[in-house]
Amino acid sequence: GQRKEDEEPEAPAAGKSRGTKGAAGGWAWGVVFHFFLVNVLVMGMLKTFGIFFVAFREEVGGSSEQVSWIGSIMSSLRFLGAPLVSVVCQRLGERPTSILGAGLVAGGCLLSTQATSVPFLCFSMGFLLGLGFSCLYQAAAVMTAKRCRARLAFCNALARSGMGLTFLMAPFTQLLIESYGWQGTLLIFGGIMLNLVPSSMLLRPISTHLPRGPAGIQDQGALTAKKDLESPGGCSDGSTPRESQLHSAQEAPSTERPVLPHGRDASAPANPSALGRLEKPTPESSWLETSTEATRSSKAPKKKPSQPLLDFSPLKDPIFFIFTWSFLFSHLAYFVPFFHLVARARTLGMSSRDGSYLVAVAGITETLSQLLSGWVADHDWTKKYHLHVTHLLLCGATNLLGPLATTFPLLLAYTVAFAAFCGGFMALVLPVLVDLVGVEKLHSYLGFAAFFAGIAAMGGPPLAGWLYDYTQTYVCSFLFAGACALLSPISFCFEPAAQKWKLKKANL
Amino acid sequence: GPDVTTQDLKPAGKENPSNVSVYEIVLSGVSGSPLERNISVASPTKVELSCKLDKNSQIKNPQVTWKKGSDTISHTTKSENSWSIQVTILDSSQLGSYSCILKGKQEISAVFHLQVPKIEGKDKPIITYEGDAAVMVCKTDYIPIAWTWYMTNGSKQVAINDSMPAKKYVINRQSANATRLKVLQLTKEDGGLYWCEATFQLGKSKGKLELKVLSIMAPLKPFVAIVAEVVIFVTTIFLYEWYSKKKEKRAGDEREFDQIERL
Repeated sequence: GQRKEDEEPEAPAAGKSRGTKGAAGGWAWGVVFHFFLVNVLVMGMLKTFGIFFVAFREEVGGSSEQVSWIGSIMSSLRFLGAPLVSVVCQRLGERPTSILGAGLVAGGCLLSTQATSVPFLCFSMGFLLGLGFSCLYQAAAVMTAKRCRARLAFCNALARSGMGLTFLMAPFTQLLIESYGWQGTLLIFGGIMLNLVPSSMLLRPISTHLPRGPAGIQDQGALTAKKDLESPGGCSDGSTPRESQLHSAQEAPSTERPVLPHGRDASAPANPSALGRLEKPTPESSWLETSTEATRSSKAPKKKPSQPLLDFSPLKDPIFFIFTWSFLFSHLAYFVPFFHLVARARTLGMSSRDGSYLVAVAGITETLSQLLSGWVADHDWTKKYHLHVTHLLLCGATNLLGPLATTFPLLLAYTVAFAAFCGGFMALVLPVLVDLVGVEKLHSYLGFAAFFAGIAAMGGPPLAGWLYDYTQTYVCSFLFAGACALLSPISFCFEPAAQKWKLKKANL
Repeated sequence: GPDVTTQDLKPAGKENPSNVSVYEIVLSGVSGSPLERNISVASPTKVELSCKLDKNSQIKNPQVTWKKGSDTISHTTKSENSWSIQVTILDSSQLGSYSCILKGKQEISAVFHLQVPKIEGKDKPIITYEGDAAVMVCKTDYIPIAWTWYMTNGSKQVAINDSMPAKKYVINRQSANATRLKVLQLTKEDGGLYWCEATFQLGKSKGKLELKVLSIMAPLKPFVAIVAEVVIFVTTIFLYEWYSKKKEKRAGDEREFDQIERL
């Protein structure tokens, strides 16, 4: 009797799981597309700010320094707002946060058209846009991590390649400003940013949109299990095949709400098969997954999360410090040479056309190397952070040798090498974080890591400028970037020790 | 080859105690189009224009003539390899083009253009919207006595002064060498060419600005088109999700019904 019941639900469950797996795969590409669009538009907006800068200075008035505050607020709030945004994401879910972010950006653009003074613009364009960008970024990044379990590195690299397209935004913006003035341009930009609303709708939440089919199967499994044995052992036996199917179908539910299990005695060391995708499952995350399964099966209404408002747990985690140290220094190493590449070419006597040629080559090489690095990382031939560390070391070595490049061919070679290694490590930042902490806690970790990176990003360009003023040569910028790139992987040496420390603490 | 540069030439750095500015052109001896220099003179002053022959040039001992326009100037001074004239500029009649012609085997020449300072306006049109206010600024390197603004009405140039409605135009002198015209409550007719004229002791000079007044509809049309496209996308995705949710619910209900029946 029971076997027959087991078989029949099995078949449609398998079919359904295949169907949802296909749908889930399709939605993963939708998420990647959305992230790509976010990269194009956000980065494009940040980069074309320089064109608006000129228009603002002339027409709205204000000194150069005052107007550049707008740009600084916009780009730094993108990182600094991350912890706040991560809280919002956890409460509301990624999709509403992303739509909120798109709304903030579009609203900020539209509001800026009415601007009459620089402080107004600082708020409407700097603050609103910066906050909107960080909402969009956080939601998109975490959703990509949640959806693209198998090929995260490649999907991340694919989405990041959107940054390479931003060079198209500059002439487009210039054209718009010449035709419509800066107010008309901002109006049209507001409309373009609104396009992020439908693409945000592609970020389908994984848990709430669970089709009731497999949930019904889950109920069936629970019912049969309950019928046979009320013991925990029986429960876990009966539900193992169901759960693993469900997991592969929906690529593991991931709610961070520690909802209390409802009538089901879920065992803590749960299915290794289900958690196979997660590279470093912590005991907490497995507990969370089984408990959420329990609640769904019993069809209990979702309880209000009893989580603290701002989750400070990353700050107590040594893994977080390892990652943030590396993140901070690698960002410093990334931005500074790009800023000074063209200037260095100019001081060596090359024309500005050569300089922009170098920048174009750098952009293309970086995009290609991101894709390659992501593809290689996904094959899991070695741990992802080993590749990350290798890229960082090579980048540091290239930067230290950078000052030796004094002719155009050598500088071109340096640019290609530097862009290749930068692309390599940039593509792996998100996958490495996912490897280290898992997807459940990604929001809070990413939020805080971005916050600290934001401080570095704010300080980077002025620091580089100060270095130049102090030493009167760009050589120091490259040495500085090389030093940063070499400092950043040091923290990864402590990673195995930190993991052991964590496990020991968890077992106590 | 020969270069035809038309930038303002600042004094060569040699200022004699009698406050004479010296401007010099070096000729290389290759014949071609004449070398030119523009010299801005704002107030009465004395200038010395000199043509110097490059050491490596082929021409030796040429015959040098200084001309203003087509009239020859007689009082020329010669030193080792340079020929110069002194010009006292008292009014606008002394401004013009002074050329030195060196005749040897070939004839080479250089021209100095003495003129009132140029005014920088704006090359690109200034874009404003109806109902908004436009600010136009004219700057120059020298200090003029007075500024006047003109707007073009059809083909005529009409001066903007007190006869114009006071609430429409506001002119103030931003600094000694800049002037600012603010046009309020713009309408379509306010678009067109505007001229700012600076009066110097030696003459007048004009700068050009173009004002374009767009209606608010102009950028609004693409904006509305984009918003419409966004709304279409949002509705499509919404409908798709609603439809697929209904389908799954129906399938789920059916299956549950079957299972309950079987039980």
